[in-house]
Amino acid sequence: MSNYIIEFEDVWKTYNMGNTEINALAGLNLTLEKGSFTAVMGPSGSGKSTFLHVAGILDTPTKGVFRINGKQASKLSVKEQAKLRRNEIGFIFQRFNLMSQLTILENLTLPMINEDTQKAMNILDNMGLEGKYAKRPGQLSGGEQQRVAIARALINNPSIILADEPTGELDSKNANSIMQILQDLNRNKGVSIVIVTHNPEAAAFTDQILQMRDGNVV
Amino acid sequence: MNLYNLAFNNIRRKKLRSALTMLGIIIGAATLVVLLGVTAGATSAVKAETDQYMYDVVITPASSTGSYLMDAETVSKIRSRSNLFDFREVTAFRENINGNEISFEGVNDWKQVKLKNGTSGVVISQDVADKLGYGIGSKIKVKDQELTITGISNVVQALYVHIDQGTAKQLTDDKVSAIYASTDGDPQTVADEIEEQISGVSVETKSENVAEVQEMTDQALLFMGFIAGIALLVGIISVINTMLISVMERTRELGILKATGFTNREIKGSILFESGLLGLSGGVIGVILGITGIVVIANVLKLTEYIPDMMPLWLILGVIAGATLLSVLAGLYPAMRASKLNVVEALRNE
Ligand SMILES: Nc1ncnc2c1ncn2[C@@H]1O[C@H](COP(=O)(O)OP(=O)(O)OP(=O)(O)O)[C@@H](O)[C@H]1O
Ligand SMILES: [Mg+2]
Repeated sequence: MSNYIIEFEDVWKTYNMGNTEINALAGLNLTLEKGSFTAVMGPSGSGKSTFLHVAGILDTPTKGVFRINGKQASKLSVKEQAKLRRNEIGFIFQRFNLMSQLTILENLTLPMINEDTQKAMNILDNMGLEGKYAKRPGQLSGGEQQRVAIARALINNPSIILADEPTGELDSKNANSIMQILQDLNRNKGVSIVIVTHNPEAAAFTDQILQMRDGNVV
Repeated sequence: MNLYNLAFNNIRRKKLRSALTMLGIIIGAATLVVLLGVTAGATSAVKAETDQYMYDVVITPASSTGSYLMDAETVSKIRSRSNLFDFREVTAFRENINGNEISFEGVNDWKQVKLKNGTSGVVISQDVADKLGYGIGSKIKVKDQELTITGISNVVQALYVHIDQGTAKQLTDDKVSAIYASTDGDPQTVADEIEEQISGVSVETKSENVAEVQEMTDQALLFMGFIAGIALLVGIISVINTMLISVMERTRELGILKATGFTNREIKGSILFESGLLGLSGGVIGVILGITGIVVIANVLKLTEYIPDMMPLWLILGVIAGATLLSVLAGLYPAMRASKLNVVEALRNE
């Protein structure tokens, strides 16, 4: 059994733009240990989001081997990939990506493998969202919405959380509180976490910082 | 919360659009029910009314005889003619009971007597019941015989008693008031021959159009079904349209579902469920409207007794099932589009 939650071996992601080719990932080699808390930084267009999408099996690399929790994603069927996302991966996005027509509680119970309203409420309570169950995302502040998104990412007890600029739309007070929650999750629950961020203050909460440039780690 | 609840939620949230989409199905289903229902009702009405005219000649006593009954000898002469077959006899006579002139009529096919109460056998009209104070179980004395009343018919404003043709014939010493028969010859020629060779009878022919009328009603049913089917099809196309728009609008939402681990099959399923639900609701509402329309039309045309014939179960269930099934089919292409969406691009969608 591998000690790594994430392994990239010479992974390429190439976009054909007319005559030119863009390598969003250019032979990326990378391993992240189970239980690690990592920040990925780097200039715009350096491939951070692409890396995160491949890591979360939302995107398929053009070439190369990628494993999550020891499983090689390209060898799984589309259905198995979806199951893996549901069981083991929690996503957090910059723009929250909650279902706007559902209540906060429904946003959590929808992706739940075994629907358990009590568990969903407990997680919301832990995020300081008690009493907001019946509210809709539009009725919450950005910080609150992002905490709902974290709660949703945790709903099926994932082994890894992938977050793309989770504090990008928040002020520094809310950003720090989100990072504090993620840090506690990592320290107390042993969840592996990768965040992409432009914010050094947020990155300071993590245990290691990777710098990306032109589709690779430097 | 699951994807099926979500589909319900989507329909409820976009009330106006769902209503407009359903409107097409509702109109189609209602048209189908009304057109096919009324045609089916008319068909059975025509069948019921024409069945007793399904003969080539009818032989009755000539007015010169001054009698409304033919004696047994005449009857046997008629029945022995080689070019006549499929005989049906009717014996009708009048009898004065307690100062009331009552018509007794022999019945060959009890289906043609609509019962209000009781069973067939000896059936009196409501007027007989009222005027003579009879009810089911009462006894009528006619020509020295006692008949026990078994039912009351919906014949109004007439003093009628319907009895089995056998009984009627027996009560009148085997006399008959009309003989219906088919012939393999030309009806008019045959009629003339009978009148010439048997004295005291009058023979009429029935137009052959009756059979044609019956055939035409069947064709009308097909034609109306075709027209109404087109109406329903238009409704189904609006389901395709709505579901496509809905998939495009919800691109980001579908991206979220995929990112949180729903499989393509689950997502497709929920879209088919949603379109099927639109079809089912539209179908049910349309059928209810159609039935209402039938009741109104039947009342206007004074054909209320045929209402049950106008809403056969096959029509109601068929229209609902058809609307649902076609709507599910209409959801196939949008569902396929949804499942093919690229997650990353879908999430970037505004
Ligand atoms: N669908 C696409 N088609 C073409 N090029 C793309 C596509 N997606 C990403 N790219 C390109 O790949 C490169 C890496 O993009 P990516 O989104 O990973 O950058 P990033 O590091 O997340 O940037 P930012 O900090 O601005 O979010 C960029 O040059 C981008 O233009
Ligand atoms: Mg990015």
